[in-house]
Amino acid sequence: MGVIEARDLRRTYKTTTGALRRRTVDVEAVRGVSFEVGEGELFGLLGPNGAGKTTTIKMLITLLIPTAGEARVLGFDVVKDAREVRKRIGYVFGGDRGVYERLSALDNLRYFAELYAVPAREQKRRIAELLDLVGLAGREKERVEGYSRGMRQRLHVARGLLHDPPVLFLDEPTIGLDPVGARELRATIASLTAIGKTVLLTTHYMFEADALCDRIAVIAEGKIVAEGTPRDLKAGVARGKVVEIEVYGTADEAVERLRVVEGVRSVSVEERDQAQVLVVQVDGEREVTHALLGRLDGSSVGRVSSREPTLEDAYVALVTAE
Amino acid sequence: MSSIRIFFVGGLTSYRALFGWLSPWILIPTFCVAPLFQILLFAYIGRTTHLESDKFYVVGNALQYASLPCLFAMAQTIDGERYQKTLSVILATPAPRLPLFLGRSLPVIANGILVSAFAFTVGALLLGVHVPTGSLGSLALVIAVTAFACTGLGLVNAAVGLRFRDTAVSSNLFFGFLLVFCGVNVPLHNLPGWMSTLAQGVPLTHGIEAARKLADGSSLGDVRRLVAAEAFIGLIYATVGYGCIRLMERVSRQRAALEVA
Amino acid sequence: MNAVRIVLVGFVLHLKMLSRSAFTGILGVIWPLFFATTAFFMFRTRHDPSALLYASLGASVMGIWSATSVTASSAIQRQRWEGTLEPIVATPAHFSLVQLPIAIAMSTIGIYSMASTLLWGRLLFGIHLRMVHPLLFCLAVPVTIVSIGMLGFLLSVTVVRYRTAWALGNALEYPIWLVCGFLVPLSLFPGWVRPISWALAPTWGVRAIREAALGGSPLWDVAACAALGLGYGVIGALLVGTVLRSARARATLSLT
Repeated sequence: MGVIEARDLRRTYKTTTGALRRRTVDVEAVRGVSFEVGEGELFGLLGPNGAGKTTTIKMLITLLIPTAGEARVLGFDVVKDAREVRKRIGYVFGGDRGVYERLSALDNLRYFAELYAVPAREQKRRIAELLDLVGLAGREKERVEGYSRGMRQRLHVARGLLHDPPVLFLDEPTIGLDPVGARELRATIASLTAIGKTVLLTTHYMFEADALCDRIAVIAEGKIVAEGTPRDLKAGVARGKVVEIEVYGTADEAVERLRVVEGVRSVSVEERDQAQVLVVQVDGEREVTHALLGRLDGSSVGRVSSREPTLEDAYVALVTAE
Repeated sequence: MSSIRIFFVGGLTSYRALFGWLSPWILIPTFCVAPLFQILLFAYIGRTTHLESDKFYVVGNALQYASLPCLFAMAQTIDGERYQKTLSVILATPAPRLPLFLGRSLPVIANGILVSAFAFTVGALLLGVHVPTGSLGSLALVIAVTAFACTGLGLVNAAVGLRFRDTAVSSNLFFGFLLVFCGVNVPLHNLPGWMSTLAQGVPLTHGIEAARKLADGSSLGDVRRLVAAEAFIGLIYATVGYGCIRLMERVSRQRAALEVA
Repeated sequence: MNAVRIVLVGFVLHLKMLSRSAFTGILGVIWPLFFATTAFFMFRTRHDPSALLYASLGASVMGIWSATSVTASSAIQRQRWEGTLEPIVATPAHFSLVQLPIAIAMSTIGIYSMASTLLWGRLLFGIHLRMVHPLLFCLAVPVTIVSIGMLGFLLSVTVVRYRTAWALGNALEYPIWLVCGFLVPLSLFPGWVRPISWALAPTWGVRAIREAALGGSPLWDVAACAALGLGYGVIGALLVGTVLRSARARATLSLT
């Protein structure tokens, strides 16, 4: 039995459209997500914005009730035994909000320490340790309203660890952080599994998932499109290569024209400076550059190059596949 | 009440100026329930203290409550613009100011009239207060003039808001001031001299007096001086308010303080 | 034990936060003073010092309710905006243990208004405060404050569904002042109003405060006030489960 188990999780939102005649529309944010995370694993949920990562994680941390399917954390059902789950998990969400602005970091932590039932005599020590760990020691008495984004993020991390939970959920924890801060945070996250915690991380940064995670599930449009170790996923695209073609202004039609060329696995567009670059993934053995350029006759074409595929390409291919 | 501040500034600014008022969940509690209970509260205090009649309190409070939308809504139109960062854009246009502000004032005045009329009607019905049918038309006129005068005060309030940000606080303060000074619940002769003198220079005082006389059977002719005074005061405040807004606009343009959100 | 600590720590911290907003304090004191002043002028016409004292004591509690009604009704909404609702719900603590101290902190801030109103009456209207049962007065005041806080808590839970909850709370300001007999003896109301008054804790709180100051048997009133307050707390706590479950199903714990 895994530490975190998700079985066919689904979540639908009702949104209303239109100002005069309001219609309720059902939006399926998560469409049957299943996975398992073992003890001590650092599991990554990787996907673009809007893929359903945050919705999935919120269901696991008991903030959302799934429309269908079930999930368990440490054997407890996230809907029926929500309280038991909450005692054993910590979660860290990105963003500026979520802490009491007019209180100091210390007061914020004291309050949540009570809410998480950290024994009174341990609180002081634990809070001091955590402030040290996240690098806020010395500034804990200042009011949070004066904190930078990075400092708030670190406070979120400290709060998530207050009750020393065996399972940790992190939703895009490094977003909005400067590179140094992000790197430090990643090092902290990696150290957590080293001491035996189970971590589920969501991110849309490819390299972050690659560097940190033991296993990754790629999620797109509410479904898991691939799962495995970073090495497995890379192996999936090891064969073949990537041809990059710069075009000016005709990207959308070009994509359609190129898709149908034999040997092409996927085509996507990247914006780079003035031009748009068509990133074409092709099967290994074929020499298709000619065919591709032939199809682009009539468009303005700039540089053409080919290279080895990276995990990023694997990811793009997975999430843009129809 | 301070939280009305928090919500008007923090919450309501997310509604577009006056359209936010249209939600029945705000309309009914704020413009129907509250003024009615203000009438009932003071009518019963009046009964406790054997001071004046129920009619006295119905007229006084129904008219005074017109100031609520006139103060808040006027400031809101300015606040709302600031929130949407369109204020400086609008003030930078060569559009003639007077029609601009008139346009914004009319719905506010209408709002005030409706609130007053509703509170008056329902309050009178609940307390069994009788008003001669012949006076109803004139009463409507007095309500309209009073609402206009309060809107003038609302313009002054909005000008203050352009500079000092917290219109909800000043709106509440003006509302309270009017409640205490203008003979709404305490006859002017029961107030200290300086207070009743001050009251002569603000909106509402003459309007309430006129309305009370009409409710007691006087004709419009009898109260024309009071009505004229009310209208005149309203005009003065409107002009001052408008002038202040233009002034603030100029000052703020120099100091880039307009878009302080 | 942990439950008690959560409530106490929560109360202290929220009181801290509320005290740090200067405007909250000032307007919270001035607003009820407008109404108290009007009432004092009205009562003064009776030329009866005990009438003025009656009014002063009643008016002093008005501010406690004002401090609670609007803020409490929108308390949960505000936490959603601040983003603190989700982190709180995600803890194993029972949500009412979190909300209750918030409401009580709000009503506690009302004590500034209470003191100011009594002082105002003294300085401007010459209303001298009598204290027949000073100890019971010192009991009646906190019991009233806590019970009003409990009422605020119940309010916050029942109106949480409405985006415009603050407007509903705002509209309840005058009705409570009226129906709980702050400035009007209950005997003046039609018969059907009295049970409503009796079911409201502030009615008993004000009676207790007045009787402690002017003479009477405040102990029964204190007991009634406390019992009702406790009742509100229990009902609120029971409702919390339903409210939160609904919010988790409809994804309304956060703004996005």
